[in-house]
Amino acid sequence: MRPPIKPNPKTPVKSQPKEGKTLKLQQQVCIVRFSPCGKFLVAGGFDGKGHLWDATTDVLTPLQALTGHNGWVQTLAFHPDCKRLFTADTWGRLCCFSYAEKRDRPLWTVPQAHDGWLRQVAVSPDGKRLATCGRDGAVRLWSVDDGKKQQEVTSHGDDVFSIAFHPDGKSLVYGDIKGVVHQWDLATGKAGRTFDARLMYRYDRIQDVGGVRCLAFDTSGTMLACGGTQPKSGGFVQGTPLILLFDWQTGKLRHTHKIGADNDGFVYDMAFHATGFVMAVTSGQPGSGKLLFQRPGEAQPFFLSTKMANCHSLAVHPNGKRLIVSATNGGSNGNGRQLGKNKDYPGNWSPLHSWEMNY
Amino acid sequence: MNPKDLCTPREHHFSRRRWLGVTGTAAGALGLGISSPPALAEAVRKKGKQVLLVWLDGGMSQLESWDPKPNTPFGGPFRAIPTSVLGIRVSELLPRTAKQMHHLALVRSLCTKDNSHSAGVDRIQRGDPKNRGVVYPYFGSAVAKLVGPGESGLPAYVWIKPGNGGFIHKDAGFLGPQYGAVAFGDGKPPENLPRPASLSETDDQARNRLRLQADRRYARRHRKEAVDANGHVYEMAAQLQKHLDLFEASPQATRDAARYGSFDLGRHMLLGRRMLEAGVTFVKVNSYGWDTHGDNFNGSLSLVTKFDQAFAALMEDLAARGMLDHVLVIVLSEFGRTPRINGHVGRDHWPEAWSAALAGCGIKRGIAVGKTNDKGTWVTTEEHDIGHMFHTWFHALGIASEKTEYDNHGQPLPIAHEDCHPIKELLA
Repeated sequence: MRPPIKPNPKTPVKSQPKEGKTLKLQQQVCIVRFSPCGKFLVAGGFDGKGHLWDATTDVLTPLQALTGHNGWVQTLAFHPDCKRLFTADTWGRLCCFSYAEKRDRPLWTVPQAHDGWLRQVAVSPDGKRLATCGRDGAVRLWSVDDGKKQQEVTSHGDDVFSIAFHPDGKSLVYGDIKGVVHQWDLATGKAGRTFDARLMYRYDRIQDVGGVRCLAFDTSGTMLACGGTQPKSGGFVQGTPLILLFDWQTGKLRHTHKIGADNDGFVYDMAFHATGFVMAVTSGQPGSGKLLFQRPGEAQPFFLSTKMANCHSLAVHPNGKRLIVSATNGGSNGNGRQLGKNKDYPGNWSPLHSWEMNY
Repeated sequence: MNPKDLCTPREHHFSRRRWLGVTGTAAGALGLGISSPPALAEAVRKKGKQVLLVWLDGGMSQLESWDPKPNTPFGGPFRAIPTSVLGIRVSELLPRTAKQMHHLALVRSLCTKDNSHSAGVDRIQRGDPKNRGVVYPYFGSAVAKLVGPGESGLPAYVWIKPGNGGFIHKDAGFLGPQYGAVAFGDGKPPENLPRPASLSETDDQARNRLRLQADRRYARRHRKEAVDANGHVYEMAAQLQKHLDLFEASPQATRDAARYGSFDLGRHMLLGRRMLEAGVTFVKVNSYGWDTHGDNFNGSLSLVTKFDQAFAALMEDLAARGMLDHVLVIVLSEFGRTPRINGHVGRDHWPEAWSAALAGCGIKRGIAVGKTNDKGTWVTTEEHDIGHMFHTWFHALGIASEKTEYDNHGQPLPIAHEDCHPIKELLA
């Protein structure tokens, strides 16, 4: 087991993020994002809803939730026009909402965009296309205006977990369960290079464990980050959070960042800060969540918080100063009959942790 | 009892010497051409009751398998799908098994006691009897004792599992080591089972005569059970030497392998079917790694879908061969998994409300017995403990469990928990 990591002592304390208020939700959520205008925050839940807040002040004010989904709303993406929001669920449904105005029904819906779990959505930099990937092994491109399918890759076979457009809009990358990241040249429609992230995969007994859980480009498009785990075992699923950074030009792996110990689990979500460092959240054994800021190539994160029990997603405000981390409550696990105060069977819930940054 | 009279695990370990030491004392060969359908059909008709237990070690999630609760707070991300039986839906991770539902009986009302593996595995497989100061046999050993080995000459209780094999005497409890399991590690026969080419048949027989001489000397100084168990191991080795075709590849086996899956559970379920065809009374097939405390839903996607492929192929074959008339099939774990989803996106141990699947002889087909509430947290119908299941299984095999007792050196012992009863809705 690797020793616990410590924050980089060289980083001045005054530049460290400060934790603000925490909003306790009634339910568990998978993903959280700010709208490009910064006025709205949305979270996709285990309850099949898109939970929306007015984020114009420090206090998040709840708005009418977005409904019409089934299973979990595990992925969502805003259109850069600040008017449209794309949400998808684990039953394969894809929706487009006018989140700022009419929220009671979607503008359009594709009921079966994928056969089952729709893993991720991404909007192209020019705002014209929407990309989706799913456990059915398919990668698809859709018109943002009406949800019509434009192109697809269905021959992949393996579960595709993650997807991202290159900032130049010419390429799409998607990462699969086996730890392979594929480039799709959008101009020719042909498959391009692959990036070897197989450190993120293990076949244990009869279980495929791991996968590329998230992908992100830096703002210049020179670096591709892959987030996941270096799996040690299936079942319980032990693994070390892992970020692999590839040089986009050469396709070579430049940096490997293992963050924590065997029971720290997955990097579930990440984003590049405009100044070039990676912000990531991790979740593993209940209680072992992390928020970390990692400069590419440095041995240790220069910021690390282990206060939040299990971190699943992070939303970066467009002003770069505000951060929301969605997590799971502490004490979320336990075997057998553990009842609440009213002898009811308690579910878990998600705190939304607010952070202020000064970078 | 003098401890030196007791057998040790080492004494019953399948060593090369043990396995190779017997050829002349074997019982008659089965003479069963398992690849020949007419011969197989004839053999099947002659067989008595048999059991196949698929043990998913660690705890399969009932919510991602037999008792889905889609679109509820604890339901998880998956859909429920219709099956070949109107009104019964299962998780979308079981698409092939859903088509075999008319052969199956689901029990959605299990409520057992242990939420730890260490206690649960033993307690479930031994039927959780009242404590009478004895170690009860696992169900496999119980069936080996009560049903017997049949006419095949093969071991009565075979365990196909990943990892190591050997003779697992502890399963037998007070019944004695001869009712233990013969385990085929990784689904393979013991190493060096066939007589090496360098050893002539004459030399082998001479060596065997020497061993028997030594055995007789050993028998004078040890208790009968130990001696019998020892001899039993040699007999089994001799029989297995005649059935190496069970483990060998053939064109049919290759086709079957593609249907069952090339992964461990697929290979092992296929071998399990072949063992049943050859006449083994009780076959247990184990799969490990089902303890999905973390990443349960992606884990289930990988695990349950593999189980689905193998199990559906098995059900299809057992039905096509008419074997469901005399083979009892059980799919079981030590418990289910919590409705609550923890921070590692996993489910913990949950014995309070979980499920099992049954099929075959003595069992009604195409039914689901028992119900849980909308959230899947509690059983809302009569709760069934493992004792109820033991009674039901024995009845399905034609054994009156309330009236039948073991004789443990004069001590009468019920074969299933006397406070429980068979689940009548399950019995054909």
